[in-house]
Amino acid sequence: MIFLLFAYAFIITVNVPGLIKRKEWRELTVFSILCIIAFVLGLMYVLDIPVPSPMRGLQHLIVDILGIKYPEN
Amino acid sequence: MSIEKGKVCSWQLLFLVAGFVQGSVLLIDFAVGITEHQTWMVILAGLVVSAPFILSYAVLAKRFQGMNVIQVNDLVYGRFLGKVVSVYYIFFYLMTLSFNIRDVGELYITFLMPDTPFIFLLIGFTATCAYAVYKGIEVLARVSHLFLITGMFVIISTFALLIDQMDFSNFLPLFELPFIRIFQGIHLMSAIPFGETIVFLMIIGSLNKTEHAIRNTFIGLLIGAISLLIVSVRNTAVLGKTQTIWTSTSFQSIRLIDIGTVLTRMDFLIGIAQTVLIFFKCSLFFYALAVAVAQLFGLKSYLPLVLPLAGIEVIIAATVFQSPVDHAGITQNAGIIYSAPLMFVIPPLTLLIAKIRGLPRHERGKDA
Repeated sequence: MIFLLFAYAFIITVNVPGLIKRKEWRELTVFSILCIIAFVLGLMYVLDIPVPSPMRGLQHLIVDILGIKYPEN
Repeated sequence: MSIEKGKVCSWQLLFLVAGFVQGSVLLIDFAVGITEHQTWMVILAGLVVSAPFILSYAVLAKRFQGMNVIQVNDLVYGRFLGKVVSVYYIFFYLMTLSFNIRDVGELYITFLMPDTPFIFLLIGFTATCAYAVYKGIEVLARVSHLFLITGMFVIISTFALLIDQMDFSNFLPLFELPFIRIFQGIHLMSAIPFGETIVFLMIIGSLNKTEHAIRNTFIGLLIGAISLLIVSVRNTAVLGKTQTIWTSTSFQSIRLIDIGTVLTRMDFLIGIAQTVLIFFKCSLFFYALAVAVAQLFGLKSYLPLVLPLAGIEVIIAATVFQSPVDHAGITQNAGIIYSAPLMFVIPPLTLLIAKIRGLPRHERGKDA
């Protein structure tokens, strides 16, 4: 948890002052959104909350719902 | 407006493509479980099947000089549909990068550093890739030949050291497996090492001259395919039928090197080579991902996105599969099926639409 907080404090310190100085607001917005997503995912991992896997969803859609799959070897 | 200011020489593209394909050397193991001793055949067949599609990537990149695929999508499909197609590309880059990062983690946790926490391996590796991406494509291209030479050296030297243990009757019988398994193997090969070269649609736009882009892409592809073929032949000739039971066939075959009891335990060579090659492949994927996201949102630079994307990648890599068996199972089915339209339908379709609509108009107008 402490490592996670330090990591994101570092990421913000490295990027945000430069973005504000150059008045790159669009970059700052996208950076902030990605940072929030990354932090929430990191927090879920640290707190042992299951992170949904996109591949598991795709596997369910392609194999179970659409029935497209190769036979078991 | 292009996000990338760095330029790549035409001959550097050759090394980039060859090193990138070589970076998939670890992933041959996914096919070994399906096609067993006929893996060398599916590598060749995969190359033949994917060659026309890779040609379409190169022609597309050449037609839209100086543009990456996100810009091309906006131009060809319009702003809305173009963005939808671009999101598909970004999803593919995001997921494939996380699989490759996970591959390195699994390699280390299984063979080299079993007591190290998995997440720290992923963080260390992703941070290194992020550093490379921060430096830009020009720097990666300038050192690309070193990655290729390292990979080739290890592949050829281990092949030579194992010649005395090879039994070429392990390749027989030649056409034993059912067609569906061969088909799955060809699909796997055309998707993973070769189809993934779709990532170059984000890179070829940075070429300073596109004259020899198609030729160099194909030479690079051929060098990469030969490397995969040598590895596959080596593993089958050394391990025979038993290759299907090992987690990593390359590691297992290299462990058998014993030259006068002096040259033994050479598996560290494979560890080094595979780390270096996957690092190179991941860096190219990471670069493509960062530039694609920045281009999608119309940003001036991709650099602020590198570290947050690295954070997302680490967690996806750590949680996307439950185990190496789960990893192999999903990759052999949904993993290669969901990406098929992206690799085999969208680029040729984009090229066709561009040809019908006479795009890009201003460029062609200038030429005329």
